[in-house]
Amino acid sequence: MPLRSDRLAAWARTFAVQGSWNYGTLVGTGIAYAMLPLLRRIYAGDPVRLREAVERSMGAFNGHPYLCAMAVSALGRLEQEGTDPEKIEKFRTALRGPLGTVGDRAVWAQWRPVCLLVGILAFVLGAGPVWSAAIFLVLYNAGHFIIRTWAFLAGWEAGLSVGRLLKGVWFERWSGRLWPLNLLLTGAVAVLLSARLMAGQVEAISSIAVLGLGSVTALAAFRFPRQGGHMAAVLLMLAAVLWFVGGLLG
Amino acid sequence: MSWTDLYLGPGTWILAVAAGSAVGMDAVSWPQVMISRPLVSATIGGLLLGNPAAGMLVGAVLELYAMRHPPLGASRYPDTGPAGLVAGAAFAAVGGQALGALLLALAIGWALGWIGAVTVHVRRRVNERIMSPASELAADPGLLEQRHRIAIGLDALRGGVLVASFLIPAVLATSLGVGTGPSAVGGYALVALVLGIAASAGSAARVSAFGIRGWPLLLAGGGAAALLLLGGLP
Repeated sequence: MPLRSDRLAAWARTFAVQGSWNYGTLVGTGIAYAMLPLLRRIYAGDPVRLREAVERSMGAFNGHPYLCAMAVSALGRLEQEGTDPEKIEKFRTALRGPLGTVGDRAVWAQWRPVCLLVGILAFVLGAGPVWSAAIFLVLYNAGHFIIRTWAFLAGWEAGLSVGRLLKGVWFERWSGRLWPLNLLLTGAVAVLLSARLMAGQVEAISSIAVLGLGSVTALAAFRFPRQGGHMAAVLLMLAAVLWFVGGLLG
Repeated sequence: MSWTDLYLGPGTWILAVAAGSAVGMDAVSWPQVMISRPLVSATIGGLLLGNPAAGMLVGAVLELYAMRHPPLGASRYPDTGPAGLVAGAAFAAVGGQALGALLLALAIGWALGWIGAVTVHVRRRVNERIMSPASELAADPGLLEQRHRIAIGLDALRGGVLVASFLIPAVLATSLGVGTGPSAVGGYALVALVLGIAASAGSAARVSAFGIRGWPLLLAGGGAAALLLLGGLP
């Protein structure tokens, strides 16, 4: 039976779960790396079974990196309970999809953007840059650590039943309510940041006209995000070129 | 600004390379606390050159550009840690004031993000070799741990090499934007930058939105900010 210190070591290793991410096994080798403190305890004195367990833990796996903590502990629990290897393999396969989808929706699509936007908003409203960065890092990582730790503990407790836990999981429900705030903040940050860049630079340009053009551009990019991203890159390069052409022409 | 006016001490350069390793590694390998986001890495770059506000101004714009690329599965996305650090440091190094320098720093940061993405792709391929054959690693868990840590170390090295290679060229290139004043044509450059920010914000917003139904909120956020500005917000 893994000790509390083994579980703590495995949890700590989940921070490096993507350390050897590759196109062959994706995060699979990282899962095995994080599980090793558990596997060594479970199969202490039995190198053959340890080798077999490590080999099946290294198989292809994918999932959101924070929620991989759930896979690490749940798979460790199954190993500890002596679950049939075929059943473990089926479980791994079944877990891949939800761990990716839930994490991507909750963390990458909602929690990270809202925290970043709060950090930028703090900066454009006058907070110091170090404070603004700190606001983002503390806020974001509070959520990060809570989700990672919950995932690890829940995986260990639930074992095979983690699938049920992931259906409508609390942080997905909670973060799912953030999307209106994300959109409001994105619009506000774009305007405030633009105003800061324009302040005192070129008086001849009408702010109202730029606001109108910017609104149309933002809405077009919102409707067609891929093309909007390309357009944003072209406009950035165009801005640098125009500035220097203007300089050359006097 | 003359190139001879610039001074980037060896101590600062070494610190920047070390910070580049940290932010390069953070994005994927360890510990994913998001110091790799341009908002943070560019501020670190600015801080190292004595002007964190200049760094964050660059980082905030690059952040809007980066937000539309969530790291889903094996997708490719800009490697914003070293890129943000270099761009923020470059703008801070040349005074953190000139709009021409800001435009160059932003263009460099954006381009370097995609150069970094190529190195991430190469690293994924290298990891495939490092982490095989599976049977050998399974037979010796200590070797598995060692290889995994080597892979993390290589990622740190990758970030450090990017900063080491591009920091001085970026500072020199950004310095070309100092002293080039606004002109009639140059004014349009600012408009292009603002529209670029609008386009990046619009496309980034779709990452969080469920479909296209949220567009009035995007507009309302922008409108509320404009009203705040009209009301005298600094």
